[in-house]
Amino acid sequence: MQPVNKIAQRNQKYIFSKKNIKRLNQQKYLLLMSLPFVIWVIIFKYIPLWGWTMAFQQYIPGKGFFQQEWVGLKYFIIMFQDNYFYLVLRNTLAMSILSLIFGFTLPIVLAILLNEITKQTFKRMVQTISYLPHFVSWVIVASLFNKMLSIDDGVVNNILMALRIVEQPVQFMAKPNFFWGIVTFADVWKEIGWNSIIFLAAIAGISPELYESAMVDGAGRFKKIWHITLPGILPTVMVILIMSIGNLINIGFEKQFLMRNSLVRDYSDVLDLYILDYGISAGRWAFGTAAGMFKSLVSIILVFTANGISRKVAGIGIITK
Amino acid sequence: MKRTLLLILVLVMITLAAGCGPQVTGTQPTTTPAQKGASSDDTAPADAAPEPITFTMYNVETDAYPDTDFSSPVAQEIKKATGVTLEIENAVSSDAGKQKLSLMAASGDYPDFVYGKGDLSILKNVNAIIKLDDLIEQYGPNIKKFYGEIDIKRLRWSLDDPSIYYVGGKEVGQENMEPNAGFQLQLGAVKALGYPRLRTLQDFENAIRTFYEQNPTLYGQKSIPLSLLADDWRFMITVSNPANFATGNSDDGEWYIDIETLDAVRHLTRDEVKEYFRWLNGMHDKGLLDPESFVQKYDQYKAKIASGRVIALADARWEIDEAVTALKKDEKYEAVYGYFPITIDESVKFADFQSAGYLGGWGMAITTNCKDVVRAIKFIDWMCTEEAQILTHWGVKDLHYTIENGKRVLKPEVKEMRNSDPAWQQKTGIKKYCYPFPTYGNAVKDSTGQYFEAFDTLEEIAARQLPIENEVLSHYGVNTWKELYPQADEFPVKPYGAAWLVNIEDPEWKAADDRILKTGYRMIPAIVMGDPSEFDAKWAEYQQALKDAGLDMVTEQFNKVLKERTKLWQ
Repeated sequence: MQPVNKIAQRNQKYIFSKKNIKRLNQQKYLLLMSLPFVIWVIIFKYIPLWGWTMAFQQYIPGKGFFQQEWVGLKYFIIMFQDNYFYLVLRNTLAMSILSLIFGFTLPIVLAILLNEITKQTFKRMVQTISYLPHFVSWVIVASLFNKMLSIDDGVVNNILMALRIVEQPVQFMAKPNFFWGIVTFADVWKEIGWNSIIFLAAIAGISPELYESAMVDGAGRFKKIWHITLPGILPTVMVILIMSIGNLINIGFEKQFLMRNSLVRDYSDVLDLYILDYGISAGRWAFGTAAGMFKSLVSIILVFTANGISRKVAGIGIITK
Repeated sequence: MKRTLLLILVLVMITLAAGCGPQVTGTQPTTTPAQKGASSDDTAPADAAPEPITFTMYNVETDAYPDTDFSSPVAQEIKKATGVTLEIENAVSSDAGKQKLSLMAASGDYPDFVYGKGDLSILKNVNAIIKLDDLIEQYGPNIKKFYGEIDIKRLRWSLDDPSIYYVGGKEVGQENMEPNAGFQLQLGAVKALGYPRLRTLQDFENAIRTFYEQNPTLYGQKSIPLSLLADDWRFMITVSNPANFATGNSDDGEWYIDIETLDAVRHLTRDEVKEYFRWLNGMHDKGLLDPESFVQKYDQYKAKIASGRVIALADARWEIDEAVTALKKDEKYEAVYGYFPITIDESVKFADFQSAGYLGGWGMAITTNCKDVVRAIKFIDWMCTEEAQILTHWGVKDLHYTIENGKRVLKPEVKEMRNSDPAWQQKTGIKKYCYPFPTYGNAVKDSTGQYFEAFDTLEEIAARQLPIENEVLSHYGVNTWKELYPQADEFPVKPYGAAWLVNIEDPEWKAADDRILKTGYRMIPAIVMGDPSEFDAKWAEYQQALKDAGLDMVTEQFNKVLKERTKLWQ
């Protein structure tokens, strides 16, 4: 106990030291500039947390806070007793883990490959083409995939038939066990270029001298990638990985909502759709809030776990002690 | 510094990840000061022109062509007669209305009028809308006349609170002039098959099979025998409803209601309906069902129909209208559909024309924030007059219609505009102020014996029919599609209105109801596309899943509300 107290004491002293106050004074303009954003965060991110109280109420819109009936953990219990909840949780985690595996590693590969291209015009062209789909709305992407994978003159089936790989057209969208794969593929196609930009930027930040000296030491292309490029972008990779893991459960619902059909519902319904259907649409505000809280809790646990592991293994973390 | 930055970043990420409560967005309807009175060149009517007043209104229906500034000719006439300018705000999407109403309830910021469909209770719960009984008694002689003694009871709120809180909504005296539901077969197919008797599902199947075998391609593409659509809620329209109709029920949503005992059951639990799906399952097994039926999206489905190669459908008129318009535009008249009242067997009558009476249940309410309640109710009262009804249905005299031999006749350019210009209501104001205001339906005549309805009278509809439609109909010995169906007088009027308008507020009920519905979305496609030998087992599994989703609770509560409603209306 004692050493801890001492450290705290020392810290306290340290905070109000002359040196610190002087520094505050020096940075006052910077602090002032950041103030609006701090206020923004407080207003839009912290104050709404008050709404979490709804999860413990029989919430009826329009009634005052004190007129609501408190029901304790009722909605959490309903949620955890619902079999369907576990189904959507499975789908959510499965699709987000798939998208983490492919949607995270492939942009790194693309960035490294692009970096190896010496012809600038070609490199720019590939980069532009690969990130353009990012700007296409999911509504359009879903229609495109539906049409391409259709058995009714869909291009994929036409090619497979022409190559005699399949005898009968395959109805891709009707196969429940294909759904996760199709969604992940669409996601990777749409976002690969965009997500590689940050890694390209990180690669650009590596000092060229390192490559030159490696070349002098006789390192070839793969050795240079392995020993210089990869370690060079590792901090960026880790930061983005930790944040992606934190967002595992927040995969949204647009793609699933737009690409699903009646036959694949058991594999397509995700947590956000569940909240929408059984929380907001049904007017069960409290239930929706409870499910939202559950998501936040999982997110926080995931971020801290990932951060801890990363700090232990790679020595890099986004949250420091 | 870098670490602090990262820390802030993480905090932002975490809070972003946090699902927060409903966020307050959107603007409240603003009340602008009353606009200036009628322009100076207006000659004042005999009794001094009413003082101008602006009422705001929120309407949960979306409107792609709003009459901005209340500037259409009809709106201007309304203003001239009543002094009222309406500032109408529509919902931005079909499900945004409910959120908006919740927001209004939470903020206490209401417009003068609200049309909230089934979600008006959100405002009622916070006492935001006012009782109209006394006001109608005092200022609403035309409202009373408009509804009459029977229909005005259908405006009552509930057994516990039998006051009137809203007026308007659906039409009074509406009668369908064309079938809205049925089984559709291409006119070309009907003709080629020699006008076969089309009465039962078996007849329908035979017709589809024969024509499909004779025509493997249509308009240069592979033909499709029978196509369905199960794109989200459209499942109810094209998969679930036809089963209800083919077994003799009129549109009661997902319910089957025994008209004698008023006992309601989910129609998908009935044995007759099971037989309908057995038939669909057989159609799939015989290759007569489009394998993409349960996969395709609405736009794909419309595109298929518009290509002219889908031989048969089981859909609602409004859902295929757009595609059929495209067929007509391409002059693919043989691919336009005929409507047939097909049922599971000869003993069952297709009840599309069964009357529900005035539907009640929905209407526009006056809120507690209304700036002048008396003016508001007087305005509604004026809307109920014959003068107003003719104005809102026919437009402005001499501008939109003329009177020939004492009869109103629409100008040809107005008729033309209606058929070709999607913004015709916005430009003329005709029909813009019918629904959800108090409005007469197409079966009501005015004091001179003419219909209030200007466009969709039986004669107008017959005149719009294609030559090939007339040819096909003549072989069945009738003039219109309506005559092919069992008529309204063959069925009793439904004493409860329409079951899909029965509103149950309990969120737990809604959630369970939704679960039951979605159980169908998930399981029925697999049943239809499965092996016929497994049909019974899978159907039993489906029935069990319905029970697990809370079928008993949902049915019990629905029956209670339905019976209360019927009692309230008597």
